Amino acid sequence: MAEPISRRRLLGIGAVLGAVAAGGLALSAAWARRPAETGDQLVSEVPLPQAFTIPLPLPQVLEPVASAAEGDRYEMVQVETEAEILPGYSTRLWTYNGTFPGPTIESRRGRHVTVAHRNELPVPTVVHLHGGRTPASSDGYPTDLVLPQDWSETAGHGHGGHMADDLAVVTNVQREYGFPLDQRAAMLWYHDHRMDFTAPAIWRGLAGLHFVRDDVEDALDLPRGDHEVPLMIADRAFDSDGQLKYPSLDPTLTGEIGVEERFTAGVLGDAVLVNGAPWPVHEVDSGLYRLRVLNASNARHYELEAVTDTGRRLPLVQIGADQGLLAAPVRHERLPMAPAERYDLLLDLGELPVGSKVRLANRLGEGRMKDVMQFHVVRAGRRAAIPETLATDLPEWDRSEAVAVRDFAFRAGRMNGRHGWVIDGLPFDPNRTDVTTRLGDVEVWRLIADVHHPVHLHLVGFRVLSRGGGAPLPHDAGLKDTIALRPGESAEIITRFDGYRGRYLFHCHNAEHEDMGMMANLEVT
Amino acid sequence: MLRAVATLFLIGGFGQPVFAGVYLSGDFDGLSWHVMGADLVSSISLVQLGAAVAVWIRVRRAWPFWASLGLLVGVSAQYVAGMEGALWLHLPLGVALIAGIAIVVAALWMRPLPRRRKEVRTDG
Repeated sequence: MAEPISRRRLLGIGAVLGAVAAGGLALSAAWARRPAETGDQLVSEVPLPQAFTIPLPLPQVLEPVASAAEGDRYEMVQVETEAEILPGYSTRLWTYNGTFPGPTIESRRGRHVTVAHRNELPVPTVVHLHGGRTPASSDGYPTDLVLPQDWSETAGHGHGGHMADDLAVVTNVQREYGFPLDQRAAMLWYHDHRMDFTAPAIWRGLAGLHFVRDDVEDALDLPRGDHEVPLMIADRAFDSDGQLKYPSLDPTLTGEIGVEERFTAGVLGDAVLVNGAPWPVHEVDSGLYRLRVLNASNARHYELEAVTDTGRRLPLVQIGADQGLLAAPVRHERLPMAPAERYDLLLDLGELPVGSKVRLANRLGEGRMKDVMQFHVVRAGRRAAIPETLATDLPEWDRSEAVAVRDFAFRAGRMNGRHGWVIDGLPFDPNRTDVTTRLGDVEVWRLIADVHHPVHLHLVGFRVLSRGGGAPLPHDAGLKDTIALRPGESAEIITRFDGYRGRYLFHCHNAEHEDMGMMANLEVT
Repeated sequence: MLRAVATLFLIGGFGQPVFAGVYLSGDFDGLSWHVMGADLVSSISLVQLGAAVAVWIRVRRAWPFWASLGLLVGVSAQYVAGMEGALWLHLPLGVALIAGIAIVVAALWMRPLPRRRKEVRTDG
């Protein structure tokens, strides 16, 4: 360069570049969601009720229709019904036995449960027991449909992504699902798992709780009866008639799959329902409570905290994970919770005076989504101690036992020529075996996510070995069946594939992602 | 010396999005590479600052120091943003850093620094 650039010009160029960089960062700071959130929010078209006015409903426990030495038999009918979720509105729901949530099943470890489901809905259904150690024939594979009466084959084949599956076992109207339940005590949940339409079916109400109890749990003398409270948290939105709003491309759920483009990342509601009631209040005493919490939302993540009316934060004492009790309690100030995850929590209200109110809040929410529900202390209760040691039957697996280490990338991709979600670049195909493993093999899976992906494995529980290349987080403790990955995050999990041979699934439990391709086959041979 | 360090900085900097891409495409080891790359780039950034101090003292050119300091601050913020998973910051800041590193490299190679002091000027 013969003639150096003038100092003035250089400064000018520098200033412009600096301004562009600063502007870009400012734009990102203003535009990007902090904290990150995967999904798009629907807006209800009717006024939503005031928080903490509606009492918390508790799902009724289903009585078996027959009990014998070899197990219990239950019957459920999948039926459309109307319920008053919002005061003054009658909302159409798809339900198990006419209630949302569906009835709760109480079972014992190792005692066989048969549930005969009858489908009286206008579409085929599939029931999956989430977290169940279940033979493949009863695991609710997405193409193992239960067809409604008078279902014409052609009506079921729209222009969506339906794929023929030669292995599918389709039944008419009725199907018996058999659950050996040879597994640790845990809160499981059952929900619809139909190919391509799981998300809208759950949204319409097809979900319920299923408890497994065992001697390990009984020995601990944990709060029980009315001091053990199941909380199924799910967000929803309502249209101008008070009906559930959902951006399905085909609202009959028979043809084109998926949701409007804007909601590809997930459907978020603007009302928090707990056990089917919006922002409910639950009257309690000043004792120790065991909260069995399920995030049954399609896509919404929560970060729970318990805050008293004086602004004090009560510890959420985690005693169990998806697949049962921990070895020792873990105390959380805030507890992140992804779709399909369950947490078994103790909440000690012992130091609160009668009249206190404790808000279960959501740190990830904005506006009214900051609230979940409220506990109102209306009488004095009995103090109880929190046990410092819990279960001793947690399985331990070591990396050195692993016969395979597999990497899986969960990310955005294309499905049927539209935006969708893929695992290792491929959308779900029932005819493709993605992973084959031998019964009894220990494997390490390394899962990598582009945005939030709660990854769920059927059949097995797993331990979290690492997260983001570092140690697992406190809430990764225990035996899990769903792990929440945050944007750009990865985790290593370890498990033994035992129990049963057959065709199982692993998938993202953001229900929209699941319907739009993010599912894969796991063949246990 | 400063030119050499700045060039290494640029090469290391360009490696980072490559490793990130490998990672997000499903190769778990890409994350370790990305972390190692971050450590390396941070170290180079510090070395470059040292070299720029030397340049300031020996030939009275201050701008490489201020530019290197700015990059060091940016790289440190980038490291924290990455560890915290703050992608809203990590992605645009990463692009800005690559641009900044490239500009410094270009400026250093285009405008040779004087061998020794010719005139007293407080630059930058």
